[in-house]
Amino acid sequence: MAAALLEPALLRRLEGLALQVRRAVSGQMGGERRSRKRGQSVEFADFRNYTPGDDFRLIDWNAYARLDRFMLRLFVAEEELPLSLFVDLSGSMDWGTPNKAVTARRLAGAIAYVALAALDRVRLTVFADGPTSGGAPYRGRRAAAQLFARLQSFPVGGVTNYQRLVWPIARQRPGLSVVITDGLGDPPIDGALVALQRAQQEGAVLQLLAPQEIVPDWSGDARLKDAETGLEREFTATPLTQGAYVNALAQRTAQIERAAVRRGLRFARLSTDTAIDAMVQGTLRRLGLLG
Amino acid sequence: MTFLAPAAAALALTIPAIVALYFLKIRRPTRIVPALHLWPNQIRDRQANVPWQRLRPSWLLFLQLLAAAVLVAAALQPALPAGAALARHSLVLVDASASMQATDLSPSRLGEARRQVNAVIDQLGPSDRMTIIAVGPTARILASVTGDRDALHRAVNEIKASNGPADLSAALILAAGLVRPGDDARAYLFSDGIVQPLRASFAAGLPFPVEYHRIGVSGENVGLTSLTVRTSAQARAAYLHVQNFGQQARSVSVEWRADSRLLDIRPLTLAAGQAQDLVLPVPADATSVTARLGGGDVFALDDSATAVAKTPRAFRVLLVTPGNVFLEQALRLRADLQIDVVAPAAYRPSAAYAMTVFDRFAPPTLPDGPVLVVDPPAGSALAGGAALGIGRVRAVDAGDQLLANVDLQDVHVARSQDLRASTFGRPLITSLQTPLVLVREEPYRRVLFGFDLHESDLPLRIAFPILTQNLSEWMLPPSVPSHSFHPDEPVTIVPEPGATTVSVIRPDGSRRPIAPGSIATFGDTDIIGAYTVEQVLAGRVQRSWFSVNLFSDSISQLKPPDRLTLPPTRTTSTQATHHGQLEIWPWIALAALGVVAAEWLAFHRGL
Repeated sequence: MAAALLEPALLRRLEGLALQVRRAVSGQMGGERRSRKRGQSVEFADFRNYTPGDDFRLIDWNAYARLDRFMLRLFVAEEELPLSLFVDLSGSMDWGTPNKAVTARRLAGAIAYVALAALDRVRLTVFADGPTSGGAPYRGRRAAAQLFARLQSFPVGGVTNYQRLVWPIARQRPGLSVVITDGLGDPPIDGALVALQRAQQEGAVLQLLAPQEIVPDWSGDARLKDAETGLEREFTATPLTQGAYVNALAQRTAQIERAAVRRGLRFARLSTDTAIDAMVQGTLRRLGLLG
Repeated sequence: MTFLAPAAAALALTIPAIVALYFLKIRRPTRIVPALHLWPNQIRDRQANVPWQRLRPSWLLFLQLLAAAVLVAAALQPALPAGAALARHSLVLVDASASMQATDLSPSRLGEARRQVNAVIDQLGPSDRMTIIAVGPTARILASVTGDRDALHRAVNEIKASNGPADLSAALILAAGLVRPGDDARAYLFSDGIVQPLRASFAAGLPFPVEYHRIGVSGENVGLTSLTVRTSAQARAAYLHVQNFGQQARSVSVEWRADSRLLDIRPLTLAAGQAQDLVLPVPADATSVTARLGGGDVFALDDSATAVAKTPRAFRVLLVTPGNVFLEQALRLRADLQIDVVAPAAYRPSAAYAMTVFDRFAPPTLPDGPVLVVDPPAGSALAGGAALGIGRVRAVDAGDQLLANVDLQDVHVARSQDLRASTFGRPLITSLQTPLVLVREEPYRRVLFGFDLHESDLPLRIAFPILTQNLSEWMLPPSVPSHSFHPDEPVTIVPEPGATTVSVIRPDGSRRPIAPGSIATFGDTDIIGAYTVEQVLAGRVQRSWFSVNLFSDSISQLKPPDRLTLPPTRTTSTQATHHGQLEIWPWIALAALGVVAAEWLAFHRGL
């Protein structure tokens, strides 16, 4: 199943990567990720005074010899990283060549696989006019096939409604969130990004667009039909009107980027004609999301 | 406003056609887009293939309708009524006389006249015709009965001002010759009104009305109106007459030169209208004297004057008479004539005399050269018929230069030979009974008086010495003329017997050859200044001089009259004058081009 979404060679290359967070996180289970908690690991974190009840195995006897006081050695706890993936599969994503929804699934799968390979916990949420849970959190590399199958099973369609994402986001434990969307919903994504900040989510917004919508490849008279709402309008494409569209799209992209940066999130605009490998190895590493 | 091509209004059908095209609806392919709200609400119908749709407001439609409307307007060739009333045949008389060189208007009066005439040409309708006549010392047709505007503009722009007067009479005669009876014609005179007096021949009127368009504003001018050199027993002196023709006092300087040597510069202040005479001694060796006014005014042509300072060469004249003190004294008034008087019996033909005067005597054969014969005896070849009783006398042509300043009002002749059958020449003075004085040009200039001077009171009148002077200077012009010539005035040049080459050197240095052997009339006197006549006589160069100056009070006074007395109109047909038309369609066509360009731009910008 995994092979159907991502090629084995790509998966092998993804295994060498890991998700990166700027601050320590707390998970529910041990993992390979630094936690805000003090725990058992080889990485020294700090000293603190001994208080009765503390594990006396952690008393630093060398410090006692120098200071004549009991000092406890604290170590960084290593825990799992909770990764939340929000994938837009609204009607507008079923557009373009290569198809945006297909590319979004593949990109989400690649990011999820990196997390699963590092024993991080992955929660998948697909959204259009409302959120659809991707089931229980996935953990471990063996869960990848299950996650990929789940990703591919979601239908594409419906009207984008970012407001409906606010509540599922608010329930997230602090961790890493990645939103994959074309960002074209109306009203814009700002409300969801505020929710991410409040939920102490690090992460990124990845705007995925088809090359044909970045630069329209047609001109002349047409009846335009909205992929999500089905609304229609007569239109004449000229250099002037196409320029106006390109400007509007650029403004929407800039608006999303500004909102993301303001909420401490990273932002990247991706084109579906870029290979998944190049997106992951290039854009996402440059963004500091993967390392 | 009138339309020169009203049939072009049919082209207005294009306007509803354009609107109709916009009613047709386009068949548009459906395109699914991810987010319709990002696409601007722009629609434009480029092509129609489905009827019908609601008409949408569109910049393109507006511009196309505007372009069509403006093009139709241009095709109608609208024309605005212009100021001047034009006839079907406009006779434009442009004053090209000396006074039109005045610069009181920029660039000059002639330049302003050219501008105004060009404006009139632009108002010509498609069926209008125009004739352009330049009015100078002679009248010249520059464009004859044509509607070709380019040719008319060219003709007007080629007009150059002469240094001479404006012979309006000649121009009107010329114009009248171009108008057929019944023609709708009108003449437009663009002039400063400083023209020669009209001849009496216009009493019957002209077949067209004449409009006077005054050109010029100022009469402020100081000019030299006379410069002569007189020789007295002691010395020679130049007499200069300077006059301020303006209404304001002027300070000028007068610069004197003998040949090219500076003699003197004198400051001079003249009140409004004041004239002053200046006298300056002339060096004995000077050939010419030039006076020049400094200070500058609007008319440069009368600011310099030249006079010949050389003493005229003497001519020997033989007077054959039984005794005529009147004739002898009148001839002796010319300082350059040496008069030898002989009785008829003593007469022997001699080549030494430049002119011979026979009084009551005629030899069997007249000598070669100028001859004046008075009352030839009966039986001679020149004698007329039996004597007739004569009363008052009159001039055949009062404007004849040979009778200039000759007043025949109180002249009477008792008896005269009957010269009615004489073939001697044309009559100069006549009476009711018979011509009295005949003149001829060929082969030599000769004069025949049919009456004995003693049978008339003519010798007792002031007219006699003047007439004698005129006739003798006509027959035998002095080597240095006693007066200055006016520009374009013909000058008679009498080559010396035996002269091999004769030429005239003009003030600008150009040389004009003259055929030797006979009296010549030299007409290239359009430039003011000193002219030199060179004759080669047996290998020796002999020079004589004459000067050409403006010397015209009427021209120098410069002030254009508000009204000009023009001949009456002899109306032969209804004057169907119409206002000239100023065609504005080129401007409308230009605007149409602008609208079409805007439409093209709008189309490509996708408006």
